[in-house]
Amino acid sequence: MKQQAIDPFQAVGDPSRRQMLRLLSKESLTINALAENFDMTRPAVSKHVKILFTAGFISIEDIGRERHCILKQNGFKQLQQWIDYFDQFWAVKLKKLEDLLNEKAKRL
Amino acid sequence: MIKYNWFFEQSPETVWKFLTTSELIAQWLMKTEFEPVLGHKFMFKTSPYLPLDFDGNIYCEVLEIEPVKKLVYSWKSGSGEGKINVDTIVTWMLIPKKNGTELILEHTGFDDLTNATLYEMMNKGWDQNVSVKMGKLFNTKLQNETTGN
Repeated sequence: MKQQAIDPFQAVGDPSRRQMLRLLSKESLTINALAENFDMTRPAVSKHVKILFTAGFISIEDIGRERHCILKQNGFKQLQQWIDYFDQFWAVKLKKLEDLLNEKAKRL
Repeated sequence: MIKYNWFFEQSPETVWKFLTTSELIAQWLMKTEFEPVLGHKFMFKTSPYLPLDFDGNIYCEVLEIEPVKKLVYSWKSGSGEGKINVDTIVTWMLIPKKNGTELILEHTGFDDLTNATLYEMMNKGWDQNVSVKMGKLFNTKLQNETTGN
């Protein structure tokens, strides 16, 4: 069965997860080091990490006995794709509205 | 955030009519059962876009309406079966000008992250950034390898 995809909006919708991404944008951290920055249980941190991982924002590497979280591009790319998609969409629609209004004005 | 300022040669009243009358909206935007009533729920339908897992349905609700000045609606879409993965807001503002109307469109809800440092990072040579980090992590000269080809 296909793994349940987590969309980027959902992943970054949570303030703790955004904070995690900010911390990881400075340096890669082990899950333990990441957890030290948050007032939550280790399983709660792991759950957030898993969501960020599934949405493509981070990768997890096992190095020695530690699990390292590393920022990844995919999740951000998808967010940017949505923005690009609607940006293009509105540019086309607004031009259409302009043409339509000018056309109607001529006929009046 | 997506933002457009568009100038129209027509009056704010005319532009407003095209923003708020469903038969007119259908001619430039999409088919809809829009009604200029606060709290009214309506839909837009466009073509599905598979790369983004978008089924082409947009679910909206009028959140704010100030005749000939401002219109705000929610803009939600998903991959089908009622699953929403884009939860954003569309705001239209009309400013009367000497020879027409300035129309401001703001599509927001993406901006939580895009305004943040992460977005800047993404635009500033991410690949190099990541490889430097990886290099540090593995204590190797990974960066030289990746920039060497």
